[in-house]
Amino acid sequence: MGRKLTFEIFRYAPLDPLSKPHMQTFVLEEHPSMTLFIALNMIRETQDATLQFDFCCRAGICGSCGMVINGRPGLACHTQTIDLPDHISLHPLPVFKLLGDLSVDTGTWFRNVGKKIESWIHTSKAFDPAAQEDRMDNDLATKIFELDRCIECGCCVAACGTARMREDFMGATAINRMARFYIDPRDNRTPADFYDLIGDDNGVFGCMGLLACDSVCPKKLPLHDQLGIMRRMVSVESVRGILPEFIRKKLAGSCGCHSKA
Amino acid sequence: MTPRSPASIRSRLDFWQAASGACLALFVLVHLILEGSVVLSPTITDGIGWFLEATYAAQIAAPCIVALILFHFWIAARKFPLRSGELGIFIDHAKALKDPDTWLWLVQVVTAVVILAGAFFHVYTVMTDMPITVQGASQRLHNGWLLFHAVFLPSVILHTGIGIWRLAVKYGFCVKAQRDKWRKCIYIGMGCYLLLGVLALTRVWFQI
Repeated sequence: MGRKLTFEIFRYAPLDPLSKPHMQTFVLEEHPSMTLFIALNMIRETQDATLQFDFCCRAGICGSCGMVINGRPGLACHTQTIDLPDHISLHPLPVFKLLGDLSVDTGTWFRNVGKKIESWIHTSKAFDPAAQEDRMDNDLATKIFELDRCIECGCCVAACGTARMREDFMGATAINRMARFYIDPRDNRTPADFYDLIGDDNGVFGCMGLLACDSVCPKKLPLHDQLGIMRRMVSVESVRGILPEFIRKKLAGSCGCHSKA
Repeated sequence: MTPRSPASIRSRLDFWQAASGACLALFVLVHLILEGSVVLSPTITDGIGWFLEATYAAQIAAPCIVALILFHFWIAARKFPLRSGELGIFIDHAKALKDPDTWLWLVQVVTAVVILAGAFFHVYTVMTDMPITVQGASQRLHNGWLLFHAVFLPSVILHTGIGIWRLAVKYGFCVKAQRDKWRKCIYIGMGCYLLLGVLALTRVWFQI
């Protein structure tokens, strides 16, 4: 006999005028290797077919099943019930638009922020489909790949105190995305261009260093290290013309990242 | 130089917040060490006080430091949870998340307000009661300023320690791999400064 798990799950259907936000309790027997994803499916199959939550890959790759688990954002498919107490509370990720119960629309948020930061390679080079791809140093390719591992689950945004208070803050995931383009030699943007895109309180300067993004990231991305690199680069850029150029260049040189200056 | 839009003036605030914070942190670290010299001997502290007054360093530095505190507060206050509902949202968020660094930011906000008010009174009482001597400080403590220091000293140490930690984290000096080491050093540093401050206050209290 496994433990009796008590799930307290947030219920609300925004499109139903009769629906009111409330917590609903479900009790389930724990099985070996049970994840929250399995538990939620069992609840839906055996207790309440109207329970809404998102999932797709079941393997921490698609980022669909992000939710707030006992107060901390995480992926349902990555979270084993054995690591949780008997009483488990589940809420939808804040910041994002609620679709119903535990299901949120992260797609629109990521699309908007992606447009804001121009999340694509900017190059003046004409694409030649017949030409061989430019070679890239293996270490650099690995570094870019490391930052590209973000699955856009939204956990870092939901865990961020700034994002909770200020809805225009673009969050660690967007800065991480920018850091990925910053080190990519195929992207022709200069520090001044990055400064124009993320150099304000909605961008990199909005980060208050609370580190929760790092603690909850299911992919263990070094989000805050990237924030640090980008903040230094953009800060140094922000005082161009104010600080003597030799000091500014020295600071830029110690940025700790691939320089495009 | 690339021309900047007026909006970019605002985006420079982060740099000035960091720069002014770093200067103030440096000042606090040196100031508390100099004050702490009283633990070794009040004569040393009196000597330091005399030197700073004779060279006008104290008279010049005091208003500059107050101005720098005002400047730092004015810039950093843009991050304060002052807009409608922000404080409540942040507190609920911190309670749910149970993440120490999220709570530490609230500590920084509260201590910032204490320091802003306290620094003015601290500087005013010291600068209007020249010369700076341990005897004079002792009299002030016995005249009711002990309670003020019991609140002001920990606030300054907490705000400075957390501020240095945040500065290092935000600007990437403290990377993920070194974070535990940094955190430990900051806590030990804050503990040492607090101990030094308490010892100094005790020594000054019994000076009369």
